[in-house]
Amino acid sequence: MSAPAHHLSQSASLRESKDLVAIEGVHKFFGQHHVLKGIDMTVKQGEVSVLIGPSGSGKSTILRCINHLETISAGRVRVNGQLIGYQEKGGKLHELHKKEIAQQRSNIGMVFQRFNLFGHKTALENVIEAPTQVKRQDKASAKKRAHELLDRVGLAERANFYPAQLSGGQQQRVAIARALAMDPELMLFDEPTSALDPELVGDVLNVMKDLAKSGMTMIVVTHEIGFAREVGDTLTFMDDGVVVETGDPRDVLANPQQERTRAFLSKVL
Amino acid sequence: MKVITTPRSETFPAANNQVPELIKAVPVRHPGRWLGAAVIVIVVALALQSLATNPNFHWDTYALYILDVNVIRSLGWTLLLTVLSMAIAIVLAVVLTFMGQSDNPILRWSSWFWIFVFRGTPIYTQLLFWGLISVLYPKISMGIPFGPELFHFTTQDVLTAFSAAVLGLGLNESAYLAEIFRGGLKAVDRGQVEAAEALGMRGTKILRRIVLPQAMRVIVPPTGNETIGMLKTTSVVLAVPFTLDLTFVTTSLASRTYLPIPLLLVAATWYIIITSILMVGQHYIEKYYGKGVDNLTAAAVNPAAARASAAGTGIGDSIPGGSSPAGPTTEESGR
Repeated sequence: MSAPAHHLSQSASLRESKDLVAIEGVHKFFGQHHVLKGIDMTVKQGEVSVLIGPSGSGKSTILRCINHLETISAGRVRVNGQLIGYQEKGGKLHELHKKEIAQQRSNIGMVFQRFNLFGHKTALENVIEAPTQVKRQDKASAKKRAHELLDRVGLAERANFYPAQLSGGQQQRVAIARALAMDPELMLFDEPTSALDPELVGDVLNVMKDLAKSGMTMIVVTHEIGFAREVGDTLTFMDDGVVVETGDPRDVLANPQQERTRAFLSKVL
Repeated sequence: MKVITTPRSETFPAANNQVPELIKAVPVRHPGRWLGAAVIVIVVALALQSLATNPNFHWDTYALYILDVNVIRSLGWTLLLTVLSMAIAIVLAVVLTFMGQSDNPILRWSSWFWIFVFRGTPIYTQLLFWGLISVLYPKISMGIPFGPELFHFTTQDVLTAFSAAVLGLGLNESAYLAEIFRGGLKAVDRGQVEAAEALGMRGTKILRRIVLPQAMRVIVPPTGNETIGMLKTTSVVLAVPFTLDLTFVTTSLASRTYLPIPLLLVAATWYIIITSILMVGQHYIEKYYGKGVDNLTAAAVNPAAARASAAGTGIGDSIPGGSSPAGPTTEESGR
C-alpha cells in the first residue's frame, strides 16, 4: 500500500461528498475560562480530519462538543445536518431530551485516551453491551458481529479476556471495536495513542489506518504527526482556542503559513 | 485488511536456559516472635482452663438452654428482624442513592434530608418513636391534602410491635447504607460513565449496568459489616417494645433462673454462629462482584506471562525464545 496513492483517490471523491460535520462559531467557557474562541470547521463524508496542537489548545474539547459530552456556550454543531444537543424552534434553541441526545450519540463512535473499557466485562461483553442494550439487537447476532470486529482489530483470541488482562494497545483496539459495533457514521479519537507504550502505538494506528481506508469519517486528536501525514485528508492546527491553520497535511507540515504553526511543528517534528 | 503486530527480530540471541545455582541464604532469626507467641499460648491455655474448671460458668445450665425451644424461637425472630430490616434498608438505600444522583434538585435534597435525620438521631430514640407512633397518630387516613378522605385505618392494627421494629431498624439503616452506596459510586472512574454515554446509553441504565456492578466491589464489604452489625442492633428492639428477640428472651430466662452468665453465653454463642454464616455468604458475594479484578490469576495479569501462555496454546503473538519459531506476525485478509 502506498499512502499518497490512497490519498489522491480519497481526495478526488472527497471533493464531491457532503459535509458530515459542520461546526460554526463554537465558543466554550469553563466558568471564566474561555477555552474555545469561535471554532469553524467542516468534515466531509469519508474524510480523515486530524487535529493537532499544544495541550490546552481546546482540541479535545471541540471533539467532546461534537457528541455533546461537553455542552457548547455559543455557535452550532451539526452532524449529518442535524443540530447536536438542541432543536431550533421558532428562532429559539430548545435542549433535547436525554433520550434524543443518547440517540444522536449512538451514531457517533468515540475512542478515549484512557480506553475506558468496562472493567467488569470481558472484551466480548464490552463490544456487545451497546448493541444489545441500546439497539436491542439479539445477543447471538451481536456476539457474531463482535467476534468479527475483534478479529478485524487483531484480537480474535482475546474475546474472553478482561481489560485488566490486556495490554494498553489491546485495550484500545477493543475500545475501537466497541465503538464500531454501533455502526457509527463518524468516529472521534481523543488522543488514542497518548497513554500507550511506544511499541504498542503502531498496532492501534494500523487499525485506525484500515478504518480510514474502509471509508469511515474520522476526527482524530493526536500527537502522531506521521499518522497525520500518511492518513489524514485534512490537518487542523489549534492553539489557545482558535483554529490557526488548516489544510492538506503534507502542505501544512512541509510549509506552515503561520508563525505559531511553525513554532509548534519545530518542537514536535 | 492488514493486522500488524509488533515485528520481532529473528536474530534474537538464544536465551540461556541453564539453571544457575539458586540462593540458599540463612533466614533472619526472630526471637521476639517466638516470645510473643509463647505468651499468647500461655494466656489462651489459662483462659481455657478457667472456662473448664470455674463452676460459676454453669455449663450444665448452658447445655440445658442452648437448644431450648424458647431460645431457638427467639433466634428465629432475631433473624427475621435482621433479614427484613436489611432488605428494607437496601431497597431504600438504592432509591436514596439514585435520588442523590438525580438532576432534579428536589430529589437530591430529599435524599440528603432523609440521611440527615435518620443518621443524626440514635436508633434507640427512633425505635421508641416508632413504638409511640400510635399515640401520635391513632388513626392514619389517606386523602387529598385539605380535601376529602379516601380511606383510613387504626395505627395499632397495622403497626404492630414487630413491624414497628422492622421499620425502625430498616429506616435507620437505609441512611447508613445510602452513604456506603454513594461512596461506592464515587469509587468508579468517571470515564466509565463517559464511555457509556458516548455509546448512547443513559441515566439509570448506565448506573445499573456499568457503575453499580463495579461499585459493588467497594459496597459489599461494608454492607456485610452493616448486616452483621444489624444482627446485634436487633437487641435494642425492647425500646419499641418488641420482646421476642434473642437478647430479651435469654435475659428474661436469666432473671428467672438467677443465672445470668450461662444465658449470656447462650446468646453470645448464637450471635457468633449466625455471624459466621453471614461471613461465608459475604465471601461468595464478594467473589461474584470481583469480576474483572479479583478473579484474575496473577499470571494472567502479567502481560509477559499471558503472552507466553497464549503462545503455549498456539494463539497470540509468537515470542522470541519460545518453543515455536517466530512466524510471520503480519496476516493478510482481503476486504
